[in-house]
Amino acid sequence: MANSNLPRRIIKETQRLLSEPAPGISASPSEDNMRYFNVMILGPTQSPYEGGVFKLELFLPEEYPMAAPKVRFLTKIYHPNIDKLGRICLDILKDKWSPALQIRTVLLSIQALLSAPNPDDPLSENIAKHWKSNEAEAVETAKEWTRLYASGA
Amino acid sequence: MDSEDDMHDANDVDSYEEYYFSGDAMDSDMEDDDAVFEYLDNASDGSDDVVSRQQKNYTILKEDDISQRQEDDITTICSVLSISRDSACMLLRRYNWNVTNVHEYWFANEDEVRKAVGLMDNTNIKPPKSGELHCGICFESYPLDNISSAACGHPFCNTCWTAYISTSINDGPGCLTLRCPIPSCGAAVGVDMVNMLTSEEDKKKYRRYLLRSYIEDSKKTKWCPAPGCDCAIEFEMGGGSYDVTCYCSYSFCWNCTEEAHRPVDCETVSKWIMKNSAESENMNWILANSKPCPKCKRPIEKNQGCMHMTCNPPCKYEFCWLCLGQWSDHGERTGGFYACNRYESAKQEGAYDESERRREMAKNSLERYTHYYERWATNQSSRQKALADLQQMQTVHLAKLSAKQCQPETNLKFILEAWLQIVECRRVLKWTYAYGYYLPEQEQAKRQFFEYLQGEAEAGLERLHQCAEKELHTYLELSASDDFNNFRTKLAGLTTVTRNYFENLVNALENGLSDVDAHGAASSKTSTSKNAAGTSKSKGGKGKGPTKGAGSTRTDDLTGWSCDQCTYMNSKNATSCQMCHTARS
Repeated sequence: MANSNLPRRIIKETQRLLSEPAPGISASPSEDNMRYFNVMILGPTQSPYEGGVFKLELFLPEEYPMAAPKVRFLTKIYHPNIDKLGRICLDILKDKWSPALQIRTVLLSIQALLSAPNPDDPLSENIAKHWKSNEAEAVETAKEWTRLYASGA
Repeated sequence: MDSEDDMHDANDVDSYEEYYFSGDAMDSDMEDDDAVFEYLDNASDGSDDVVSRQQKNYTILKEDDISQRQEDDITTICSVLSISRDSACMLLRRYNWNVTNVHEYWFANEDEVRKAVGLMDNTNIKPPKSGELHCGICFESYPLDNISSAACGHPFCNTCWTAYISTSINDGPGCLTLRCPIPSCGAAVGVDMVNMLTSEEDKKKYRRYLLRSYIEDSKKTKWCPAPGCDCAIEFEMGGGSYDVTCYCSYSFCWNCTEEAHRPVDCETVSKWIMKNSAESENMNWILANSKPCPKCKRPIEKNQGCMHMTCNPPCKYEFCWLCLGQWSDHGERTGGFYACNRYESAKQEGAYDESERRREMAKNSLERYTHYYERWATNQSSRQKALADLQQMQTVHLAKLSAKQCQPETNLKFILEAWLQIVECRRVLKWTYAYGYYLPEQEQAKRQFFEYLQGEAEAGLERLHQCAEKELHTYLELSASDDFNNFRTKLAGLTTVTRNYFENLVNALENGLSDVDAHGAASSKTSTSKNAAGTSKSKGGKGKGPTKGAGSTRTDDLTGWSCDQCTYMNSKNATSCQMCHTARS
């Protein structure tokens, strides 16, 4: 693969992700493509996702770090800012991306998004509606989904 | 934004009121008109630029003018606030290039403004004098000359800066508010860094965005919407119409940037354009002329044959066109295969009324719309044709005619004026059809009067067009003759008469045909023609010949009589028309 001329920045980021991982987050590059990462995020405590292990994939495009990494949930999750394909609505992955951000900061932001869903800026209209009309019930569903889909990993 | 538009509209109405009903306003109106006549006079003196006309309430800016103004504004802010050109430029952009606002906000709260724009006071940041720095993007270390930073001092290597700025420039005009890559920092990255660190191509793009921002962010300027035109228009609010004409000869409405559309208001134009483009008319047609297949719901148009319908494969559903019931239920019992008494009886019970009526109404409204749209579109294409003819006239025929008739080309400007008038009239006439479409059905008197005015306008324009096209052609073939002078008088006369008629028409329609309201249906015609005569009297005061009463009826009145042929208003003693020499009927 094109791993031979991988930018120093990516190598350094990868080394640091492996040597000093952020709490509740693991990210390891795929063996045949160093730009593709398998990610796992633990559901934050005191969130409906507590106890769940969520798998994500993260890809660094050719333009990285001038362009944001592409991240997607692989585990099914009930969250107003994440749609059923696992796509994530997060500003730093879109227009607020800056090359001074890193894989680590992106994953920490996603973890924070799990702790603080934002139904006012929804990606999944139905879930957001549910969240706003009956938060307690929506949180129950999120817990249920966490049990169903995110416990065995 | 909305409320502001409303305000403009309100101003508009007010100014029209003043324009047409107060005596003082008439005088200023006359001045404007003189300006137009001066322009025409200049034109016949041989100025090439027949098409462009400068009026007081707007200025046309070419690209150089725009750059110059931008530079001037930056210089002003620079010297008044004692800041760099770079900072001045960012400040101006933040306050939409309004110099007064920059002053105001800056002196009210400099710290706040600096923060909002990202102008750091970098006096207390001391960069290290030697050694290496770590780039925050590529994570490499570099000697100091390879490191740059914005006013905040956050170090990044020049290669990463170049990529960062270039990415932003290629993302669009957002590059004008670029900040330091550290998300929490906010220090502005201005034109100085762009010039220092990017390729020529990117610099060019950046300058382009800056120029565009000067026009697009300011409330007083807009680009000319004509394709390929690089000019912008600066408009002075208050008074006068929104119609502006660019150097490229395109006329448009400054308020809504659609093509010039007097006498119709911006709201009606947007409704009309929406209607023309919307799918709604297709839907209307489908509704009026088709029924949905009862099974698959695809619309079906029945253009011939019996009532036994078979839908296209894969549906293949067989049904009765009248009652939309299954065909297998039909036969002797329902009155034979070619009649459906289920339909007849159900119809008598009123079961189909609702959908039938809807279908009928859709059909009517569609026909009505088609009527107006066709005429609107025809005038549009006539106008295009006239523009092309005008071009042809300018480039080919004029020289030929000049040779044939032994006249200097400058003496033939009256022909171009006639064609310009035709183009303008086609435009007005076109929009009267949008006007007519939205004129409420129940306002019978207004509709009648409107259609009368429109018909007269059409007839008048046809006369002018005929004269400028067909009659002119004979002089292209003949050698020099006295007839040509008569032709000149006739065409120039027709041009003036038609111009006045159309001006009055525009005024009357912009007034919402208010004379009809004021005087009731019965007396509407005469009252408006008096008004029209009055208006044109005040306008024609520059010795361009008597022009009153172009919009008048044919009936003689105390002031004179209107010619049947050219509508010219003659004095009551004249026995033949002073304009076209037709005998008084």
